[in-house]
Amino acid sequence: MKSYIKTILTFCFVALLASGSSAQELVELKLPKSNKVVIQLMFRNGSICDPAGKEGLTALTSSLVSEGGAGTLSATDIKDKIYPYSASYGSSCDKEVSNFYFEVPADYLNEFYPILKDLMLNPSFKEDDFERVKSNQQNYVDQLIRQSSDEEYGKKYLEDVLFRGTNYQYMTSGTSEGVKSITLDDVKNQYKNFFTRNNLTIGLAGNYSDEFVTRIKTDLKGMSSVVPVIPTPGKAAMAEGLNVEIVAKDNALGSAISAGFPLAITRSNDDFVALMIANSWLGEHRKSYSRLYQKIREARSMNYGDYTYIEWYESGGSNMLPPAGTPRSSNYFSIWIRPVQTASGLKGQYEELKSIEIGHAHFALRMALKEMDALIKNGMTEEDFIKTRDFLRSYTKLYIQSPASQLGYLMDARFYGRKDWIKELDALLSGMTLDQVNKAIKKYWQTQNMNIVIITDKSEAEPLAKSLRNNSPSPMSYSDGLKASLSPDILNEDRTVESYPMPVKKVSIVESESTFRKSVPSDNKGILKIQK
Amino acid sequence: MKKILMILTVILFSVANNYTTAGEGTEGKVLPYPIYQKKMANGLNVVTVPYDSPGLAAFYIVVRTGSRDEIEPGKSGFAHFFEHMMFRGTDKYPKDKYSEVLKSTGASANANTSLDRTVYHMTGSSDKLETMFELESDRFMNLKYSIQGFKTEAGAVKGEYTKNSASPYSQLNEKVQETAFDKHTYKHTTMGFFADIVDMPNQYDYSIEFFRRFYRPEYSTIIVVGDVTPENVQALAEKYFSTWKRGDYVSNIPEEPVQTAARYVHIQKPGFPPFLDLNYKGPAFSDKAIDMPALDVLNSILLSDKSELYKKLVIDEQKCRFLGGGAQDSRDPYLISISASLINASDMQYVKDAIVAAYEKAKTTPVDAQLLKDTKTHLKYSFAMNIDNPTSIAESLSAYTWLTNDPESLNRLYALYDKVTAEDLMMVAKKYILPTTLTIGTISPNEKETLQ
Repeated sequence: MKSYIKTILTFCFVALLASGSSAQELVELKLPKSNKVVIQLMFRNGSICDPAGKEGLTALTSSLVSEGGAGTLSATDIKDKIYPYSASYGSSCDKEVSNFYFEVPADYLNEFYPILKDLMLNPSFKEDDFERVKSNQQNYVDQLIRQSSDEEYGKKYLEDVLFRGTNYQYMTSGTSEGVKSITLDDVKNQYKNFFTRNNLTIGLAGNYSDEFVTRIKTDLKGMSSVVPVIPTPGKAAMAEGLNVEIVAKDNALGSAISAGFPLAITRSNDDFVALMIANSWLGEHRKSYSRLYQKIREARSMNYGDYTYIEWYESGGSNMLPPAGTPRSSNYFSIWIRPVQTASGLKGQYEELKSIEIGHAHFALRMALKEMDALIKNGMTEEDFIKTRDFLRSYTKLYIQSPASQLGYLMDARFYGRKDWIKELDALLSGMTLDQVNKAIKKYWQTQNMNIVIITDKSEAEPLAKSLRNNSPSPMSYSDGLKASLSPDILNEDRTVESYPMPVKKVSIVESESTFRKSVPSDNKGILKIQK
Repeated sequence: MKKILMILTVILFSVANNYTTAGEGTEGKVLPYPIYQKKMANGLNVVTVPYDSPGLAAFYIVVRTGSRDEIEPGKSGFAHFFEHMMFRGTDKYPKDKYSEVLKSTGASANANTSLDRTVYHMTGSSDKLETMFELESDRFMNLKYSIQGFKTEAGAVKGEYTKNSASPYSQLNEKVQETAFDKHTYKHTTMGFFADIVDMPNQYDYSIEFFRRFYRPEYSTIIVVGDVTPENVQALAEKYFSTWKRGDYVSNIPEEPVQTAARYVHIQKPGFPPFLDLNYKGPAFSDKAIDMPALDVLNSILLSDKSELYKKLVIDEQKCRFLGGGAQDSRDPYLISISASLINASDMQYVKDAIVAAYEKAKTTPVDAQLLKDTKTHLKYSFAMNIDNPTSIAESLSAYTWLTNDPESLNRLYALYDKVTAEDLMMVAKKYILPTTLTIGTISPNEKETLQ
C-alpha cells in the first residue's frame, strides 16, 4: 500500500514539475498612472540545476546575461545607451529560480526594449566579460562571504549544514572549487538548457500597452526550446539531538548564531499561515515586540536583535520587509541570534569579568530554546493570538508598496500554486483560530533536534565547545553596573536559563578557511532523481 | 446643495491659504506632487504630500540632531544611542505598552541616525494615523526611562557595533573619519568610538540633557506622505504637538581647519579584496550654490558605470571589481569619496593615478555638451524612477529637511542641476580635488601601502 501511494505521489510530482516547466506564463499588473514599466522574468531553475562540481553555474549564467554585452552591443555600449533615461536592470539567482529585473521610464520603453530582447535572446557571452563576472563571483565565495558580515556568513553556513550532501547545500554563488571549474562553454550550455521558453514566467507591471504584452510574449518564445529537466530540490535533514558547528575566525568581536531544522510546509499549505502567527509572536523580523527580542535584547542587553523564520528571508541584515524573488519548495525553520559578546571582548571591557571563560552565546541559545519550548508546551494565549493575527493582517500589506514588490509577490505566488498570496493571506489570517495555531506549533516545531552554527573568534571556539559538550551551566556575565540595575525577576530567571538542559549531541569546530571550499560530491546531489 | 459646496470651498480655500507652499504647483519640479508645509507656533514644521496609495501612509519625524552635535569629549555615539532610548517608554505608554500599541497599528516602524539627523519613521494604514501621532507626540514630549532601562539599552548599542565591526569597510570608514578631521565632530562615526560606547551606561544624566537640548519642536519636522490630506495632518499635528515646548539650545560645532597635506590610513587584511578609498574635503550641502550640484554631475560623469574610467579600470583592463563614489550631502563640509575594489593590491598606485588623472583632466577640459545634457536627464530619471511609494517619497523629503530644514530643497537642487555648465564642472574639480585635502584609506594584505 505504502509503495503504491509513493508511486502515485512521485508521478504527481513529476507531472507537476513538467507542467511547471513547459509553458510560458504571464503575470500582469497594469498601473496606467505609473511613470514606469517594471519587467521581471523568472526562470524555474536556480542553483539546484548546477551540475556536480560546477556549483555556482546558474548564478554565473544569470550574472553574465545581465552584466555582459548583447547582440551587437558591448556591456559598455548598453550602459551608454540607457544612461540618459536611467533604465536599470539586473539579475538574481536563488535555489530554485533565477530572476531578471528591468525598470524603465514608460516614455522610453520602446527605446529600451530591443536591449532587453537582446540581453535575453542574444547575450554575447564574450570571454573577457566571462572572466570579469566569474572573477567577482569567485571573490565572493573565496573571500567576501567570510569577511563581510558574520551574520550572513552564519546563515549561509547553516544551509550548508542543514542540506549537507544535497543540491541545496552550497551557496547559490557556489563553492570555491565549483566556480573555479566553470568554463564559458558551461555557461552557454546552462543558458541553453535551463533558461528556456519552457520554464519562463513573464511579469509586467506599470504603464504598458496590450501591444507590448503581445510583443514580449512573442519575442521570448525565441528563447531556447529545450524542456529543462529540473532536479529534485534537496531536503534538509533532521539533526539527531543538537548538532553544533562552531566556525572559528580571526578577530571576530562577537558570536553570531543561526539554528534550524527542516519544515515540511511552505506558503502552499494553509498551516503555514498558522505558523506565521506563532513565528511573528516568537521572533518577527526586526520587531521589538516579539518574545526573543524582548528576552534577549530588551531585558538583558545581550545583542542587537533576535528573530525566528519559517522561510528564507533574503538579506535579512539589510531589509526591514521581506523581498520577493526567492520562492522555495524545500523549507526550514530558523533562529537568528545577532552577535553576542565573546569572553575576550567582555574581559577587555570590564575589569570585573576578567575571569570568565565563555561569552554570552551559550546563555543566549539556552534562552531561545527555553522560550520556544514554553511556546510549544503552552501555546499562544487568546489575547496574543488576536493581537498578532491582526498585526499581520495589516503588516503583510506593506510587503507590496512598490510596483516591483507587488509584481514580485504575484510571481512568487504562482510558484506556490497561489494566485495572489498577500490577498489570500488576509483571508486566511482572518479565518485562523487559536486552536489551529497551537496545533500547528505542536505539529511542526520542536527544540530537541536542531543544527546550530556559531561564527565566533578563535579564542572563544574551544571554551564554548567545551561548555556546550558538557552541558555546563552558563551564567550570564553582566558588568557590575548593569547587574546592579537589573530587577530580581530577571536575575531569578537567569538562574533557570543558565542550566536549561540542551540535548547537545555533537559539537565540532570548523576553521573558517575551510568553509564553502569543496564541491558537493556528485553521488549525493540527487540530480535527475526525478527521472527514476 | 450649492450652498454646501460653497461652504466647503470657502473652508478648503481658507485652510489651503495657511500653507506656505500649497498652490505654487508642481510644474517644472522634480517631485510631481505638491509639498504642503506649515510651521506651527512652537516651531514644529508639518509637511504633507498627498499620494495615491490607497489606505497607506508614511509618517516620518526628522530631528536635526546627529553625531555632528556630539561636541563634548567622551560623548561620541550619543545621538544614535539616544535614538534607541526613544523606544524606552513614557508614563502613559511604558515600553511594553508602547510596543503593544505600535503592534496594533500593524506598521513598519523604526529609526536611524546619521551625521546630521535622527529619523523616526512608520509606514502603515492611513486610518491609524491618529494613533501614530498620539504615540509619537507622547514620547517626543514625555520620554521617561529608568536608569535600568538606560543601562540595558547601552548593551544593545554595543551589540550593534559588534555586528557592524565584522566588515573591514566599516573599520576603514571609522579610521578615515578619525584621520580626515581634526576638530569637527565628523571626526567620529555615528556609532561613536568604541570606548565611549562601552562607557554609555554611565551617562544617564547626560542623556536627560541631550533630550532637553535636541528633542524640541524647532529641531523637528513631521512629514506625512500617502493617502492623507494636508488638513487632516495639520489638525492632528495641532492636536498632539501644539503643547510641545520650544527649546533654546544651539550646538557650537567646532570649525574644521583647512587640511594642508595628504593623510593616510591602512588596514592590513589578508583574504580580503584590496580596497582604495580617496577622500577629498568637499562642500557643505546647499540648494543655492552651484558647487554641490556640479560635483554630483561631475562625479556621475567620471565614476558611473558608463564613465571612461569605469570602462578602463573595470571592463577593459579588469584592474577593479568596482569603482564608484561621490560627495556626501551634509550640513557642514564633509568628504568626496571615491572608492575602488581592486583585484591585485599591486595595482593600488596604478588605480589611484588613473582616478587622479581623470579628475585632473576635468579641471581643464570642458565636458562634452551632450554628455552634460545626458547626465542631467540621468539624474532626474534616477530620482523619478525611485519615488513609486509613500516610504521612498518620505525618505527623499526627509533627506532635504535635515540638510536645510526645508523639503522644497529637493526641487531646488534638481532645478540647479539644470543650470550646471561645463565651466562649473571645471571650477569644482579645481576647487575641491586637491592633493592637500586628501585622506587615502587602503585595505590590503600588506603591512602598509605607500602611495604617492
